[in-house]
Amino acid sequence: IWIFHGFSAEQDLVGNLASMSTSERIKAIQKMPATMKKKREIRNKVLKEIKKSRHHSARLSCGQRLQGTAVSFRRFGNSLSEYFHLLQFWHRALKIIGAKFGTSVLSYFIFLKWLLTFNIFSFLINFSFITVPQFLVAEPNNLSFTGLELFTGAGYFQQTVLYYGFYTNATITKIKNGPSYNMQLAYIFTVGLYFVICFLILLFSMAKSFCRNFINLQSYAGSASKLLCAWDFNITNEKAVKLKQKNLSTQIKEDLTEVNREVVNFSVKERAVRIVIHLASWISSLGTAVAACAGVYFLSLNNLKLFVKGHKNDLESQAAMLVLPIVASLLNAFVPFFYSWLGHLERYQTPGHQVYVTIARNIILKISIVGILCYYWVNIVATSQSQCWETLVGQDIYRLVLVNFLFCLLGSFFGEFLRRIIGTTFCVSLGLPKFDIGRNVLDLIYVQTLIWIGILFSPLLPGIQTIAFSIVFYVKKVSLIMNCQPPRKVWKTAQMTTSFMFLLFFPSFVGVLSVIGVTVWRLKPSEGCGPFRGLPSMYAAVSEWIKILENHTPSKWVVWIYYNLITRALFFFILSVPALIIAYLYWKIIQGRKTTIKLLHKQIIN
Amino acid sequence: MGNKQTIFTPEQLDAYQDCTFFTRKEILRLFYRYRDLAPQLVPLDYTRKPAVTLPYELIGSMPELKDNPFRQRIAEVFSEDGDGNMTLDDFLDMFSVLSEMAPRDLKAYYAFKIYDFNNDDYICKSDLEKTVNKLTRNELTPEEVNLVCEKVIYEADVDNDGKLSLEDFQHMIIRAPDFL
Repeated sequence: IWIFHGFSAEQDLVGNLASMSTSERIKAIQKMPATMKKKREIRNKVLKEIKKSRHHSARLSCGQRLQGTAVSFRRFGNSLSEYFHLLQFWHRALKIIGAKFGTSVLSYFIFLKWLLTFNIFSFLINFSFITVPQFLVAEPNNLSFTGLELFTGAGYFQQTVLYYGFYTNATITKIKNGPSYNMQLAYIFTVGLYFVICFLILLFSMAKSFCRNFINLQSYAGSASKLLCAWDFNITNEKAVKLKQKNLSTQIKEDLTEVNREVVNFSVKERAVRIVIHLASWISSLGTAVAACAGVYFLSLNNLKLFVKGHKNDLESQAAMLVLPIVASLLNAFVPFFYSWLGHLERYQTPGHQVYVTIARNIILKISIVGILCYYWVNIVATSQSQCWETLVGQDIYRLVLVNFLFCLLGSFFGEFLRRIIGTTFCVSLGLPKFDIGRNVLDLIYVQTLIWIGILFSPLLPGIQTIAFSIVFYVKKVSLIMNCQPPRKVWKTAQMTTSFMFLLFFPSFVGVLSVIGVTVWRLKPSEGCGPFRGLPSMYAAVSEWIKILENHTPSKWVVWIYYNLITRALFFFILSVPALIIAYLYWKIIQGRKTTIKLLHKQIIN
Repeated sequence: MGNKQTIFTPEQLDAYQDCTFFTRKEILRLFYRYRDLAPQLVPLDYTRKPAVTLPYELIGSMPELKDNPFRQRIAEVFSEDGDGNMTLDDFLDMFSVLSEMAPRDLKAYYAFKIYDFNNDDYICKSDLEKTVNKLTRNELTPEEVNLVCEKVIYEADVDNDGKLSLEDFQHMIIRAPDFL
């Protein structure tokens, strides 16, 4: 009887599969937890079933021909997807890193690759829509090229497409009475569209990641999941395997002693001392951040004097321009060491706690540095009497990015290569260096923030950063494989990846959007250069275009949308009320489902 | 589109592509890896479906598996005879499930079978003890192993029968985002 039951279940399965579309059917067969033999049998049965039903329904020859073409289409699609795989660059390098060092270190490289695709996308958009039309009406460049411009970004580069100042404000027409290309609108719409697309991509990636990694975490992050899900099947290196096993045993031992120990009750005096120590270290770290900001601010004021005074193209003034970026990078490189030392001093109860606090302090430092630089650019450079303030800001950002790139390479050299030599020959107790994932990812986010701010002022900056990121990838990979050992601390990869994406979105991207918003809406573009010269603000280009469109009848709907929807604050208010209502409803549904789960749980146990 | 390969018939390749997560090129590459383990045993012509099985010792010596503490269980789970000796079908199946394109539920199903040492469709306490020892290279004392196994069963056993069934295991995996 049970043979018959199994047979009829299989018949049902075959019938179900036959009724699905081709791609769904293939996915369902691939997902079946059965041996290859069984899957092949079922597949052949399904194909026979489909042929039979086609026999019955359509004309014989037509059905067979259709099936033949369907098969050849699928083969074509498969080979196309193989070529698409080639586009996924660095696949092999990422696999090697994952095999030797595990998924936690791999997450840094995947994040780097993800940021790289953002930059490539931005470069392609800017190049095709803004730079290429500019090439058609380029003015000749009278300045001379000395090699120093690669470092300072000034001099020869000032009159090239690298900076905002070079772009024309005219409407480009190559053929008389032919189609025209309005540079002002192109510039503002290209940059705007890029930011909107970035916003959507970041929002959806973050939501997807959050959904997968944070839901229902609280009740089941016990040792069961730690034990059974902790083994990283990606690792294939013998040393890494041994290390991972040692990790797991150490962690299990720690867990067991924690359970036995319960909470250590501190006396009142000890608790007070601990609170005082925590407060002192927080005050000192915040104080360091404020001091760093003040230093950067005064240096940049000095910097501005150099420009407003005039262009002395001698070595001294060129070198003086580099002081600000070097100081900023030095602060970013060395203050985190101070923070880690503070973290050691405080003796937190769990090492995870210490990692989070150190990362939080680093984030505060980096946000303050970027914040003070933005304040300086928006409030001081923009209102100074320099000739072309946007180009000045673009040059500042270029120098910051370049010096940061050089410091990254140097940091890899000193932090990993020399440290390994010291650790293996002079001071063997130190051992091999470990790859510091948190600091490196924060560095990436810092650079990406600068790039996003700089897109408006230097459209080709993402292209430069693409090259920089590629070089950084190879250098870090080689340095990692040659010098580092696999990580010892347990690093909750999925949670940290989500947090990094959240950090990229919330302080970084939203901050950039506010700075760009202030620049476009409030600041007056310079009179003598750039696509928006003479206008009261960059946004005025759009409002003037709408005014022109008003006299053009076929586009009245655009004008109507603009005046009644986009400029009216009431519209956005009305839009936000249903959004809030939907969010509240979803929240209530989730609460209801949680209670249902608890009740079902009780039922299963009893 | 037509690579002049004579190892498989086009229908065989289509069937492999439908049943695994691999593309044509990857299937051929895996075939060559399989053949490199024992060139004298594996023929270059699979159109007549020869019944060739490679012993476990050769499979376990592959660089991807040789340092994995669970390699024997992996080979046993995926092999047809349950002893670790694999045909080409089993070989492709194993790498298909272990690849990054396989969905998590499929991996969870096979992970359950890997951890189930006595093949009784339940992870009981002795299975867990063997798992813990393999994961920690016998560094824990027997009392510690005992404590850990009891804790795991206490936390993950939903239907309270003293051992983990497939549903308990899958229930736990869904909540662990770090599972690979």
